[in-house]
Amino acid sequence: MALRVGVDVGGSFTDFAVLDDADGSLTTLKVFSRPDAPGQEIVEGMRQLAARHGIQAADVGYFTHGTTVGINTVIQRNGLKLALFTTRNFEDVLELARLKMAAYHNLFSRRPDPLIPRERVFGIEERVDAEGAVLTPIEEASVAGAVHGAIASGAQGILIAFLHAWRNPAHEQAAEAMIRRLAPELPVFRSAAIWPIIREYERTMTAAISGHVQPRVALYLDAFEDRLRELGVNCGLRITKSNGGVMGAAQARAECVQMLLSGTASGVIGAAFVAQAAGLPRIMSLDIGGTSADVAVIIDGQPEYGSGEVIGDFQIHIPSVSVTSIGQGGGSIASVDEFGVLKVGPESAGSLPGPACYGRGGERPTITDAVAVSGLIGHAGLGYGAVTLDLDRAKAAVGTVAGPLGIPLEQAAGEIIELAVSGMYTDTSALVSRFGIDVREFSLLAFGGAGPMLACFLARELNMASVVVPPAPGVLSAMGGLIADLRNDFIRIVYATLAPAVAPRLAEALEGMKAQALHWLHEEQGFAGEATLNLSAEMRYRGQSHEIAVPLELDAITDIPAITRAFHDRHRVMFGHADEKAAVQLITLRLVVAGATPKPRLRPCPPAEGPAEPDRLVPVYLDGAHTRAALYRREALRAGHTFPGPAIIAQPDCTTCVPAGFTVRVDGFGNLIIAVPEKAA
Amino acid sequence: MRTDPVTLQVLRNHCRAAAESMATTLYRTAHSTFVKETEDFTIQLLDRHGKTCAVPLDLGATWYPGVDYEDAIKLVPGGYEPGDICMTSDPYSGFLSTHSPDTNMWKPVFHEGEIIAFAGGHIHNVDVGGAVPASLSRTLTEVHQEGLRIPPSKLYRAGVLDETLLRTITANVRVPEQNWGDLKALVAAVNTGERRILELARRFGVETLKDGLADLLDYGEAQARAVLASLPDGTYHFADYCDEDGVGGDPLRLKLALRIQGDSAELDFTGTDPQTLCSMNVPTGGHPHHSLVLVGVYYVLSALSPKITLNFGTVRAFTCILPEGSVVNPAHPAAVGMRSLTCARLRSLVFGAFAQAAPERLPAAPAGSSSIINLAAENRRTGRRVISAIAPIVGGGGGMPHRDGTDGSGADAAYLKNSPIEITEAEAAIRILRYGLMPDTGGPGAHRGGLATVLEFTTDAPDATVTARNRDRSIFQPWGILGGRPGAASSFTLNPGAANEHDLRNTDILNPAPGDVVRIVSPGGGGRGDPMTRKPEAVLRDWQAGRVTTEAAARDYGVVIADGAVDTAATEALRAQQPAREGFDGGPNRAAHEARWDASAYAAMGEAMAEVPSAWRGRLKRHLFAKVRASQDPAADVIRREKNFGRG
Repeated sequence: MALRVGVDVGGSFTDFAVLDDADGSLTTLKVFSRPDAPGQEIVEGMRQLAARHGIQAADVGYFTHGTTVGINTVIQRNGLKLALFTTRNFEDVLELARLKMAAYHNLFSRRPDPLIPRERVFGIEERVDAEGAVLTPIEEASVAGAVHGAIASGAQGILIAFLHAWRNPAHEQAAEAMIRRLAPELPVFRSAAIWPIIREYERTMTAAISGHVQPRVALYLDAFEDRLRELGVNCGLRITKSNGGVMGAAQARAECVQMLLSGTASGVIGAAFVAQAAGLPRIMSLDIGGTSADVAVIIDGQPEYGSGEVIGDFQIHIPSVSVTSIGQGGGSIASVDEFGVLKVGPESAGSLPGPACYGRGGERPTITDAVAVSGLIGHAGLGYGAVTLDLDRAKAAVGTVAGPLGIPLEQAAGEIIELAVSGMYTDTSALVSRFGIDVREFSLLAFGGAGPMLACFLARELNMASVVVPPAPGVLSAMGGLIADLRNDFIRIVYATLAPAVAPRLAEALEGMKAQALHWLHEEQGFAGEATLNLSAEMRYRGQSHEIAVPLELDAITDIPAITRAFHDRHRVMFGHADEKAAVQLITLRLVVAGATPKPRLRPCPPAEGPAEPDRLVPVYLDGAHTRAALYRREALRAGHTFPGPAIIAQPDCTTCVPAGFTVRVDGFGNLIIAVPEKAA
Repeated sequence: MRTDPVTLQVLRNHCRAAAESMATTLYRTAHSTFVKETEDFTIQLLDRHGKTCAVPLDLGATWYPGVDYEDAIKLVPGGYEPGDICMTSDPYSGFLSTHSPDTNMWKPVFHEGEIIAFAGGHIHNVDVGGAVPASLSRTLTEVHQEGLRIPPSKLYRAGVLDETLLRTITANVRVPEQNWGDLKALVAAVNTGERRILELARRFGVETLKDGLADLLDYGEAQARAVLASLPDGTYHFADYCDEDGVGGDPLRLKLALRIQGDSAELDFTGTDPQTLCSMNVPTGGHPHHSLVLVGVYYVLSALSPKITLNFGTVRAFTCILPEGSVVNPAHPAAVGMRSLTCARLRSLVFGAFAQAAPERLPAAPAGSSSIINLAAENRRTGRRVISAIAPIVGGGGGMPHRDGTDGSGADAAYLKNSPIEITEAEAAIRILRYGLMPDTGGPGAHRGGLATVLEFTTDAPDATVTARNRDRSIFQPWGILGGRPGAASSFTLNPGAANEHDLRNTDILNPAPGDVVRIVSPGGGGRGDPMTRKPEAVLRDWQAGRVTTEAAARDYGVVIADGAVDTAATEALRAQQPAREGFDGGPNRAAHEARWDASAYAAMGEAMAEVPSAWRGRLKRHLFAKVRASQDPAADVIRREKNFGRG
């Protein structure tokens, strides 16, 4: 295999990244997305790759794709209409969820409607206890009745989720067999088969999402593979996973739950790679699109992982790259409330109608309009010429808040930006507190259409060290998928209080996972290289309700004192204290298997042969004053160039805004490394 | 305003971020599971006078966005210097902590020798000693039985820990390392707060910060006043009842006259019952803006204006009259530990008064009983006695103007979280037989009240103790408005449906025998609007979802369901027989109580109370209720005959 291709299909653009195994060189390409004719963007992209770069489909040996089809299905709730079979007397598991709801200061607070409405939930006569022992055998008549009810209710598939199925799935399996006999046409899903975690709501919810998206994801992948075959791409399709790895399309079809965050995770992997190459050990990645900003923490090239990521109205409890969405993007709308106070967001103009200055029907002022009125964007075509900036419309829109505020237009624009940034600051600061990191040691790596536009302002508020803008911020997601390792997670619920007697169980669980993991990597994924295995355990003090992840040594799985010590140490690092006398529970063992894929050699940026020359000076309104900023064209910048703000760096897919006091340096890979001025003490 | 509007909004965002970072520090470092599970803690960023300017949005309890530290701050002897950290847990000095398990802490933030702000917060310690484990019980009668109380004192003096105070604390509590662990978490939180406030001073400048904090209060006040101005002027009377004023006691009446005039409101609690003999008293010191009696107001304002900023400015628009010696302003040494039960009723009292002022904009009563069910028993597998929180039993919200009440929890109980059954069954000697929504418990209405939660379990442990603190509404139901019917009463039953079935009413502690089945059903939310006007399709949907039975659909809604569909003709015929309903409905028990204990009876009791010292009033009330029960005469006459109570 000579060429590796990664593709990211976004709302407006589709990005291609092509890696040549022979020399590690990377080729990128951007084409319009075709929501009207999905798949056409791939055809167009491959055509252009051939025409411009001589890249032939037959030479492609590896093809990865990150997609949002799963997450969109959940947000729009237009997937499979499932019926849910629960243990009888626990039918409200999805309805009650974990009780606590958002906006809980409000008398009108409510939980989102469950993904499976209560009228399609059926209790089954069966019960297993916490040890997995059968208390009430499963009753075939009650399954038959439920199948009948499910069909009558219009269900298109059935999810089985019984209490304690993670420990003993026999009843779920028996129910599945019965349903297949009674209604062979209905797809059937089982909670313990999809992701066998303890905690009934979390397991049921995760399985419900997986079942809900399954047919759409499968159809999408079928069509995508057909298109590739027509184009003559003969290698298998691989899909990026929420956990930052990749898997074959067959697995993605069967285990949809693994690929829901495929798109966002790819961006983070790409950001991690760029940061690592640039020698930046601590990164916060900031991907600002039209409606939201996604933030992730990356340390030493490794993103933070978690479970419980938010998808639409729900959380999904499988291991994922930890990405937090904060509620403001380039399309967030500014308004003035009845007290004459300016507000920005959470309402957004999204990508349609979009900001007023895009001239697609938007009339209300957005953050992007404010940036335009300030003179900070619009000096080069936006989005590869797809959008021409209509300054008059931006001014008219911003005028609708400047009027009531009784201030000049530019000042209103400046205040919209300041307020928007302070809102992002509040959300990001909460995230920083949660991760317990010292943000002053971190660089903010900005991508997405609006990331480089706002990153300097946010980094200054957060007191971060620097801002990094990679040469092609738009292509990070496509590249992320391309370079992601083959990666899969395996878990065993152990649920034991640590004592020497537990050691054989741990060893047995690890052996089982190891065999499964190696089989997955070498047989199912056809990976011939060396496997990397990482073991961790989710542990807690007895009585606690949340576990923390503790990395463990594979060859010391029977060393109970060492495992216990590792937990105390980790607890101390995270929470500042440890209780050496308390009993420790090990709930889950997790083994992550990875097979490394080749990485690109990022093309060095040619060295500067003289100082950076601005294109011209442009009038801007920045930090509350009219001034002139030096306008640079990104393609003209060379390694070693250094220049101070105020400056604007324009490139086809984004604009970087640099206020006064900041200093821009171009590194050896063409990244802009922007130093944030020290705060006055 | 001294601060320009945009700077003010930016400052508001930064203050919230500072408060959230304090809350995260507290949550992450707290030791006790209780704190983590129930989030029974709060955080405040305070101005230099001790008034709350900002609180976190999604972490911690909802009770104190407008709390005032000023009195407690002033009670610390010896002035302040940098590095001081102060605390109090005494419900009778400064009225900041309102029962002894609550420790409030604050740290002055100095800039060039001057206090520019305080960082504050509170945490509920699981146990602070006293007569019973966990320090809380309705059986206690004096605050002295409720554990250690620390009056406003310095825990750190110029950065140095007061070891004597700490030793005194740890010597007086049952699990000292847990208390110290939680105190340390609070210390970490106020230290984080100090650091963040100093960053704010650098970012905005000290003068802008000081002015900005004052302007934030003005902004909060202006927003609250704008909501008040949107309500019609007038005086709105409302009363609500706790089932009992003590174990096996008489009804506890809370009374409110809400006077709205322009953009101000007065909450007059005159006519509220005297302080109780047990620990259900709410200590306020008569503070006219006490946060604890205004919790209901926060919810009402947030419902009427969802993006409102809540801080001490909010409460300045409200003035409370809290009569001395009443349950809302008890005299020392009345016990106060179980004031949470009364506080739930204080919230529904406020909701009811506002619902009279703006019935078209507000919901019916939420379930209004938040009880956390605990089981203490030996785990057969581990041989260890463990106390496990089984589930919070709360019940649904009231029917809303635009939709049905939230089922199972909601309104003023929306912040509580449940425990997974799979974890509970693995940890505790318990088998859960049923957990879910209870059909037919939502108050019928055009918009139905939210359903109750039901929990049914059994244990095979021979030594099990079940505690169910703060249960209420098993007699006085969550009221319906505008023709809506009340939500179902709560119930607590041993062996339901068996020969040995037993109604446990408002019992808080139970020792079930192995194999006994315990069933707890919360109250349901009240209904809103005439249930006969509810769309038959909505009733059918409830029926399909198992929320309403066939019988209840016909009885409560006049909707006849046959063969899985609405029988339109039969429904129209049935509905035609029903008189239109309007107005308030507190259920038959309330109606019966108010028929006997009418306005003249309560007026007579009020006169009798005025004649005796506050410490006697609880006994006098008990006496009068006994006499009224024993007599057929009008209650007011019976009461007037007892005017020589206590005079031999």
